[in-house]
Amino acid sequence: MEILLAATIGVLTSCGVWLVLRPRTFQVLIGLALLAYAVNLFIFSMGSLSVGQEPIIRPGVPADLLHYTDPLPQALVLTAIVISFATTALFLVVLLASRGLTDSDHVDGEEERP
Amino acid sequence: MSLALLLALPFAGSVVAALLPSNARNAESTWSALIAAIALVRVAWMFPQIRDGGVIRERIAWMPSAGLDLVIRIDGFAWMFAMLVTGIGLLVILYSRYYMSPTDPVPRFFAFLLAFMGAMLGLVTSGNVIQLVFFWELTSLTSFMLIGYWHHRADARRGARMALIVTGAGGLCLFAGMLLVGKIVGSYDLDAVLGAGDTLRAHPLYRTVLVLVLVGAFTKSAQFPFQFWLPHAMAAPTPVSAYLHSATMVKAGVFLLARFWLILAGTPEWFWIVGGAGVCTLVLGAYAAMFQRDLKGLLAYSTISHLGLITLLLALDSPLAAVAAVFHIMNHATFKAALFMAAGVIDHETGTRDIARLNGLFKAMPYTATLAMVASAAMAGVPLLNGFLSKEMFFAETVYISSLPWVEWGLPIAATIAGIFAVIYALRFSVDIFFGAPSTDLPREPHEPSRWMRVPIELLVLACLVVGIFPAQSIGPALDAAARPVVGASLPAYDLAVWHGFNAPFVMSVFAMIGGAIGYAWLRRQLAHGRFRRPPLIRRLDGKSAFESVLARSSLVARHGLEIFGTRRLQPQLFVMIVLGVLAATGSLWADGLSWGSRPRVPASPEIATLAFIAMACAIAAAWQAKFHRLAALTMLGVVGLVVCLAFVWFSAPDLALTQLAVEVVTLVLFLLGLRWLPKRVVPDDPRTALRARVRRGRDLVLAVIAGAGMAALSYAMLTRPAPQSISPFFLDRALPEGGGANVINVMLVDFRAFDTLGEISVLAVVALTIYALLRRFRPPRESARLPRQQSAALPALTDLVRLNPASDAPAGYLMVPAVLVRWLLPIAGLIAAYLFLRGHDEPGGGFVAGLVVAIAIITQYLVTGAQWVEARLELNPLRWIAFGLLAAVGTGTGAIVAGYPFMTTHTAHVDVPALGVLHVPSAMFFDAGIFAVVVGSTLLTLIALAHQSIRGRRLAAQATEESIERNPR
Amino acid sequence: MSGRYDALMPHLIAAPVVLPLVAAAALLLIRELHYHAKALIGVAATVGGLCVAIMLMAWIHDHGGPAAIGVYLPSNWRAPFGIVLVADRVAVLMLVLTGVVSVAAALFSIARWHRAGVHYHTLFQLQLAGVNGAFLTGDLFNLFVFFEVMLAASYGLLLHGSGALRVRAGLKYIAFNLLASSLLLVGIAILYGVTGTLNYADIAQKVSQIPAADRGLLHAGAAILGIAVLAKAAMWPLNFWLASAYSAAAAPVAAVFVLLTKVGVYTALRLWTLLLSADAGASALFGGDTLIAGGLATLAFGALGILASQQLRRVAGYSLIISSGTSLAVIGVGDATLIGAALFYLVGSTVASCALYLLAELTERSREIDAAPPIREDESDRLPYRLEDRESADDDADDYALAGQAIPAATAFLGLSFIGCALMIAGLPPLSGFIAKFAMLGALLDTGAVAAATRPMAAASMRITLFAMLLVSGLLSTIALSRAGLRHFWSPHDRAPPRLRIIECLPITLLLLTCAALAIRAEPVLRYTRDAAQGLVDPARYIDAVMSARPTPGAASGGPVTVGVAQR
Repeated sequence: MEILLAATIGVLTSCGVWLVLRPRTFQVLIGLALLAYAVNLFIFSMGSLSVGQEPIIRPGVPADLLHYTDPLPQALVLTAIVISFATTALFLVVLLASRGLTDSDHVDGEEERP
Repeated sequence: MSLALLLALPFAGSVVAALLPSNARNAESTWSALIAAIALVRVAWMFPQIRDGGVIRERIAWMPSAGLDLVIRIDGFAWMFAMLVTGIGLLVILYSRYYMSPTDPVPRFFAFLLAFMGAMLGLVTSGNVIQLVFFWELTSLTSFMLIGYWHHRADARRGARMALIVTGAGGLCLFAGMLLVGKIVGSYDLDAVLGAGDTLRAHPLYRTVLVLVLVGAFTKSAQFPFQFWLPHAMAAPTPVSAYLHSATMVKAGVFLLARFWLILAGTPEWFWIVGGAGVCTLVLGAYAAMFQRDLKGLLAYSTISHLGLITLLLALDSPLAAVAAVFHIMNHATFKAALFMAAGVIDHETGTRDIARLNGLFKAMPYTATLAMVASAAMAGVPLLNGFLSKEMFFAETVYISSLPWVEWGLPIAATIAGIFAVIYALRFSVDIFFGAPSTDLPREPHEPSRWMRVPIELLVLACLVVGIFPAQSIGPALDAAARPVVGASLPAYDLAVWHGFNAPFVMSVFAMIGGAIGYAWLRRQLAHGRFRRPPLIRRLDGKSAFESVLARSSLVARHGLEIFGTRRLQPQLFVMIVLGVLAATGSLWADGLSWGSRPRVPASPEIATLAFIAMACAIAAAWQAKFHRLAALTMLGVVGLVVCLAFVWFSAPDLALTQLAVEVVTLVLFLLGLRWLPKRVVPDDPRTALRARVRRGRDLVLAVIAGAGMAALSYAMLTRPAPQSISPFFLDRALPEGGGANVINVMLVDFRAFDTLGEISVLAVVALTIYALLRRFRPPRESARLPRQQSAALPALTDLVRLNPASDAPAGYLMVPAVLVRWLLPIAGLIAAYLFLRGHDEPGGGFVAGLVVAIAIITQYLVTGAQWVEARLELNPLRWIAFGLLAAVGTGTGAIVAGYPFMTTHTAHVDVPALGVLHVPSAMFFDAGIFAVVVGSTLLTLIALAHQSIRGRRLAAQATEESIERNPR
Repeated sequence: MSGRYDALMPHLIAAPVVLPLVAAAALLLIRELHYHAKALIGVAATVGGLCVAIMLMAWIHDHGGPAAIGVYLPSNWRAPFGIVLVADRVAVLMLVLTGVVSVAAALFSIARWHRAGVHYHTLFQLQLAGVNGAFLTGDLFNLFVFFEVMLAASYGLLLHGSGALRVRAGLKYIAFNLLASSLLLVGIAILYGVTGTLNYADIAQKVSQIPAADRGLLHAGAAILGIAVLAKAAMWPLNFWLASAYSAAAAPVAAVFVLLTKVGVYTALRLWTLLLSADAGASALFGGDTLIAGGLATLAFGALGILASQQLRRVAGYSLIISSGTSLAVIGVGDATLIGAALFYLVGSTVASCALYLLAELTERSREIDAAPPIREDESDRLPYRLEDRESADDDADDYALAGQAIPAATAFLGLSFIGCALMIAGLPPLSGFIAKFAMLGALLDTGAVAAATRPMAAASMRITLFAMLLVSGLLSTIALSRAGLRHFWSPHDRAPPRLRIIECLPITLLLLTCAALAIRAEPVLRYTRDAAQGLVDPARYIDAVMSARPTPGAASGGPVTVGVAQR
């Protein structure tokens, strides 16, 4: 299980990095989104991987890490999701504006000089 | 008047002078003269206290902890310099009153002149070496401003900058040197430093210190090889040249040498470096001076040569030489200032400084001529003038030196040669311009200057004569007082007589005189035939152009360096950051090792495995397609998002799953709205950059794989390690009893870490506002401005489709059914949102998700029934939502403060509502409401702002197409 | 021991964050067309922020000693479980600096810039909230959140006024910072995973005891975090974005951006001295050498840049890089006196760069019609090198006039202010730049550094290099700035002097007066920064203060408060 999650994070990161390094703004956008997923999963993976142990207090169940999964990473991921959503949206719009103002979808706003 | 006041006086005066109106020439000069006079009297007053080795000190605490205090320390030597600074300053001010043209903006001039006077006073009277550096740099700055006074002239600008950079660089070296001295001695206090000569000379860093200090002194005093800036400083108004660049500022270097003569001199290094520089400067300066055509140029080079003479005297390790140096400092100041002023008069009255053009001025201006000739005679060292005495001393010192044989021979010869040159240029200055047939082609009709313009010159020349004839009586005591501190307690025996008998120095003088006369006669003929426009032999030695090309090169090199070590393109920057990240991680892991933990693994289930593989496959596919098939890439991205969402469900994170899902939907809508403005990519990459691109792709692929592997390894290591002593149990433990909610995540968001959430919603708000502000100025790309090809192809037939106003017609038209359905969606969505919101504290849900649900519901209305239709019926003001949301959130927090608890403390109120019984109303609920409002507001603001572009775009498109139709009707 | 403002404490500590947030929300409720009201509120809130910061400083000054660390527990949960805000000497110093700079920028902007786009003042306030939060917070993840607030606002402000140049620069800036933020998150996550906590002080306690097997992970996390932070601090080679982005921004925006790099420097300083302090066991002073080396590289790069630049804005940008490099390198040596001197320098150089950005706009206004010139910035920045340093020798033959030209008042003001900034940046007297250089160089020379024994690079050779670099960078700045000054103020040009408004000159004057005051009152300021540095190098006090802070009893965390609602 762990190995799968780790592998997924790895692959997402790879694709994200690859895309972020591309010259087209849209590629960078997708790359950043993929990286955001990877990072969120990464933070998530700091807690224990546990099935059926939602951090919602049930009466009669001792409140410790044996019976509930670690809530802190989840809280962090929640915030991270929101922030990455916001910044992605912003990047999208800036990308559009740049496309409109510079007539180029190159990240530098102009095709690279040969 | 306290010394501090004396020091502050010129600066205060300068400020006042700067504020006077620009045409108040008399007021300016009177005021400045007053300041200078007061300072002069105050300084002269101290003579009794310092005459026999006394020292006046005054300390003002500035930075005691750093060992830097404002210490004013006046001994005989400092006193002598202070007298020069104030005295000559006074004369120069008087002179400038008549020299500066009525149209000149004099406030700037006098302000900086006074500022310089203050800086120079501070320099000579500072009793702390750092303070000395402080004023040292100030003199450089003021000199820069004064040289550049006529900044409309390129030579002034160039000269000013050259002077600033050369002397400034020297100042930095001096700074370093003084810091080192302070470290070695253990104090920056001048007294302490002067007392630590032996420690200093014995210290391993002595040579470093020496070189640094000497560079400082040489640059300031225009010693070889730094002499080149001084002639170009002559672009300054003549009073400035007389004051700064002959009498005082350029003496700061030799002042420094004399000041530290006690502690630094007496070693072979000192002798060879200082002596070498001195001799070169002495001879070269005099040599170059002979060939100058410009009066001020001649004086500038002669100044250089005389400074070299002083330096050389200080190099010879004998107290008597030091005395001679001090003496010559005074003498040179007097006659050279007089000469500069005379040159200024001539320039002022004739309109030129070209020696070749100036002839027979004696008839026109006999007084000035006489004064000038006496002064130049003093410069040449003619008996009965002050220059003679110090030069005799100098000759004597060169003769009686004991060193290597060739030095013992060479030095007197060099001295004599310099003497000959001196006579020659002195003769050129006097004979060439005052005698012979009066020149006729002068710009102005020469005549005597106004009475008061001559007075300063007369006073100075008088001084030359008096000192020259009755040295012991006139200058003796002052010289005693000035020289004693330099050479230490015991002043060597010397007598200031005009006639020392028939000895070697006298022979040398006579020789110099005769040789000079002959040489002059010869040189005059040569020059008359137009030879030697520039000094022969040393043409190559052009410090200025070397300096300037160095400057130019440096900025060129800098630009290349910037291109090599920096970039303005994005990709390299991101690449570098990722590489650094990878290096940082691997580096530290390499050092300390990475090992898998021992935590029991969670068994993998086939479903989740499939999901994982789907996610990976889609990610790769997205990476593959993102360039040319955006929609495909977007879909893949969505799938990845959904898988992540499912993973959250699986691994018991329902809140994350909910949020992720809602966010996915909104993001997707957003992207779809945006895609419409990205024209399809048809342009292939430039073939010329294809190879580079391929290489880069390979490189990036490798990096991407490494980065991914690294992240995988890290997360695997973290996943398999036993959980550390985490703080999490606390949250599980307190959530229900004290946080008042069963859903720990939600309690954390609104209570434990509410401060984070506050920041988070402000991020949302900021982003929404930014997007809104940006889109108000949105300009669609040219390609997307027109209608999509499908529609424009069918133009002539379907012009009504083009003309149709989607906002009003669509819901009534082809979108009627969905529109009706969607209208029912709104209340249901509202209900769901309310449910999610209310249960949020105990079950998955909360303000954030609720907000997103509402936003999605509304945006669906937009999508289906069009913006105008919705806005006609639904009064939305996203900005209000955001504002009230923020206020609600912050208000809840501050409410706690009112109740006497820290910001954001949650309270649970038990409200007893008659019908329903007791309700638990945690204040966190209001905070959650704030979150809700901000989320709704910002999401709507973003989406609507983007959606409205379609309306605008369509309008533009319709106009464009209609025009095109009218242009080419069928 | 009692002092001023005890009554307002501890809530005063949260004010620097809460006040701007409230102001921002209030500003949203006002329609754009009432820009006077908006400006009024914006400036008032900014000035209020400055006052709060000064009050905090006064409070610390009155208490002195260990008591002078204000700890605030938002949500009333004890550290390490809740988030803490910590107002110690360094943090408060930075708050005051923020206040000064932001007041200047806000005043300047109401002359014309705040109408170049919508919601300027709202974004400005949120920016301040982010910056102040980053200075105050004592919790890693909260740091991330406030970084994001700060950055998001900075994106908005950078794009304020739109235009191709800004959008192009903004795109790069945003992409770069988004990547940096994800690095930051990864680093934070690892640190949490290893130490199981997010609170600075708590991590600092646990770092020394974590098992050897996790040491590598810890260092990896710290290093990744460091990269992200140093990217904000504009360390070479992570600072290529700075000059372009800042010179594209509107003048007051660039002026307030000056603070962002300082946030990076501050965070690096804080985390490095606290988490990897000298008594952090095997991790003691981990990465200090990197700081020195990177700082030196940054310094060199900045010197190159300032030497190569023509436009005042770019000069300002590179002066900012020089300032970052100097601070980082000097801090990296890890000596208390040095850090104290570096903080003193940081304050002065920040104020000066801010003034220079404002000045640049006023100076170049007359030559740039549009606020966002259509030409690419580097083309306008390029000159054939012969032109810039050697003017043709014969152009002074014709105007051999011995009468000077009067300088119009506006130009005179600009020129004098420029000289002031130049002196600050080049470290020449009489302003505080010289004092700061002196303090740093002097401290560099005493070889009393604790670190020198344990860390080879912090030893003599490194110090000498740093010593030389500081002086040389001063010289290069002098060269570059003198050239820029000649080009802008002394070269003859027929352009009419720019028309200035009091509200534009006032901030610049204030900033330069601050520099002068720093020079005159150098002793107390330096003593303050030294104490601050002392508090940094032995973090025990900080840790005690945070860990011993107790929540107010009886609140929700002690049991619900009952509010009875009157019966019908």
